[in-house]
Amino acid sequence: MLVLDQISTYFQLLVQTVSVPANIAILFGSVLLGIMFGALPGLTSTLGVALLTAVTYGMSAESAMVCLLAIYVGGTYGGSYSSILINIPGTAASAATALDGYPLARKGEAGRAIGLSTTSSAIGTIVSMLFLVSISPIILHFALQFTSFEFFLLAFFGIMISGTLTTPDLVIKGWISGFLGLFLACVGRDKLQFFPRFTFGIPELDSGVEVVPVLIGAFGIPQIIQVLKDRLQVSDVQKIQRILPEFKTIVRNVPKIVRSALIGVGVGCVPGIGEDIAAWVSYGAAKNTSKHPENFGKGEITAVLSTEVANNACVGGAIIPLLNLGIPGSPPAAMLLGALMLHGVTPGPMITFEHPTFIIECAAILLLASMAMWVVGMTLAKQVVKVLRIPAPIFMPIVGMLCIIGSYSLGINIWNLYLMIPVGIISYFLSEMGYPIAPLVIGVILGPMADENLRRALMVSQGSFLPMFTRPVSLALVLIILWMVLVQIPLVRNLKNKAIAKVFRKRSVKR
Amino acid sequence: MIEKEKLRKADVFSGAVVSLFGLWIVSQALKMPMKDSWGGVMNVWYVSPALLPLSIGIIITLLGLLLCRIALKTVGPGEFKNTVRWLLSRRLVWFLSLDTTMRFYAMAVLFLTLVFLNLSRIDFFLNAVLFLFAFITMFYFFDDALMKKFLLFYLAGEILFIIYFALGLEGIFNGVHAYATDLLALCFLAGYVIYSWRSVRENPDLRKRYRLGLIVSLLAPFIIGPIFKYFLLVPMPKEGLVVAVLDYFWYLEFM
Repeated sequence: MLVLDQISTYFQLLVQTVSVPANIAILFGSVLLGIMFGALPGLTSTLGVALLTAVTYGMSAESAMVCLLAIYVGGTYGGSYSSILINIPGTAASAATALDGYPLARKGEAGRAIGLSTTSSAIGTIVSMLFLVSISPIILHFALQFTSFEFFLLAFFGIMISGTLTTPDLVIKGWISGFLGLFLACVGRDKLQFFPRFTFGIPELDSGVEVVPVLIGAFGIPQIIQVLKDRLQVSDVQKIQRILPEFKTIVRNVPKIVRSALIGVGVGCVPGIGEDIAAWVSYGAAKNTSKHPENFGKGEITAVLSTEVANNACVGGAIIPLLNLGIPGSPPAAMLLGALMLHGVTPGPMITFEHPTFIIECAAILLLASMAMWVVGMTLAKQVVKVLRIPAPIFMPIVGMLCIIGSYSLGINIWNLYLMIPVGIISYFLSEMGYPIAPLVIGVILGPMADENLRRALMVSQGSFLPMFTRPVSLALVLIILWMVLVQIPLVRNLKNKAIAKVFRKRSVKR
Repeated sequence: MIEKEKLRKADVFSGAVVSLFGLWIVSQALKMPMKDSWGGVMNVWYVSPALLPLSIGIIITLLGLLLCRIALKTVGPGEFKNTVRWLLSRRLVWFLSLDTTMRFYAMAVLFLTLVFLNLSRIDFFLNAVLFLFAFITMFYFFDDALMKKFLLFYLAGEILFIIYFALGLEGIFNGVHAYATDLLALCFLAGYVIYSWRSVRENPDLRKRYRLGLIVSLLAPFIIGPIFKYFLLVPMPKEGLVVAVLDYFWYLEFM
């Protein structure tokens, strides 16, 4: 009965959302903007969500979520345009799509590739939406039993795993990045005693570092600098013929779609790592299980299908921990967290009490966004790809200006910009040195949660860390964190690799 | 990202900087109350505001040292000495004046002067047009020699503005005319437009790009700015001459 109630609420919310004409306009406009953001190399869905956050400030929470989720979905899909047509991924999420999408376009099948990526992306989003509604009640049930120790360890785990998995170089750099983010979160007066920490007597720092301007600075400024410094130039754009929805191909590859969607949702649920990892893992799985792996990299249709299903499935997957635990599953979800708090919605286990239908509403919006994305992709792709011809030195300065006015407008405070620019420049140096930015952002967002919950937990236990080891979820998190650290030690890593090799040898002998 | 080989050498220094930063965090955290009463709350170590900063500082210090150690082990002491010698030699100056580094300087100057100098003192729309036009002209011609010329001109203008603001001339001039500073900024913008035109007018391709850059620089702020000002009701950081003109038409003050 509860399930039927939820289904009925879902359709009611769906009808309620589409019955407001402004929401339809916002939906299609945001999807189109998201696709353009995703298509243009140097722009990302994270930046799109960040810039639109400022614009949604005056909207209702429902319209704001329509706007932001639509640009997130559109941005994740839009990256496939430049991957397929010019072999330059529009976003990191579509880097894997370029491997087989561009060769397909070179063979004159650009329309087919785009049609397939459009339908795959829509399916990935819909599947992740289904997971969002079905898994959320289970996660919430467990999360309501969490104490401060669990929340502290979850925040710590989120920072550590983000640092471990997103680093392009040494894992230590990912952790350093995460702890730098935690440090930034400590700036300001602490919540329990109101003691000023690292404020240097500056009253504007008393309330701490504003999350959204820091995120805009950390993601936007380095992108602008990198694109213009390296003089990224777009080569000839491949021509698109008819764009076909490729339903027959979809039907023939249902098992691969299911696998890719599961990978996308699973990866999305892990804090801090995003759509790019989901796409690569899915690509690897598709290649390893293919009967003709030698065709991968030469225009293999199932490769495009797998990567696009996975990266869009990651959208819903990233929203699951965001809404249920307050822990963003990807950088764009981190931006969404900032936007939600601006609109008075505090994600976490209490969300079903404060906003009972919010999760189902988000699921309904995801469905609408995926449908809008499919319609726009099928009908307007040939026009949208014209944006690829806009030179980077023209649109990047405009993006810079948008970052500035967007950050300023959140709080009407020029101090946001005084923070944004130095954070942006430092983030640029960090990324040049191989330090990932995502853990820094996750650290800034999860820092307050970690700080408050650690001290609250220790207050309850009178300074004892024992409950961390006696409570099952806490113990599991402690062991996972310890394992993440220990496995970086060469001796432990070698032992682990030997053990895995032994297991696989035994299995192949048994066969 | 820098190439892997150079990255390891740079890691020695970045690791050292990170460790020092961690030590600084620890030193600041030790100044926070860990006993006695603060704000009506009796402090013990686990309630202290120093708990998390202290832990973060220690961890960052250890991670920085570990990074240093890994980098030194990979690079080797010999190569490390060569790197230090390189840093102390003239080749550092050569590196700092490379074209790619100059492009970074140009962008940093544009952002820093806009946010820290101009934004709170000059009309937003004038700032936006100047920022966009300077940015586009420095990068859209794909010519580093031109970029350096424009950067020097822009920098010279900004230095004059720094002197203008530092000497308190803003108050004096604005006392004479309410929008004196904005008019000066407009003159600077006009000067930059003319200077950049004279630099590119001989080349038809660059002329075409110049025109496009000028159109975009004028159109973009006047599309985006009014959306934020009149629809989202966000007051601009500084509302001067141009905003006064826009308000005059938007609110039909001429009627």
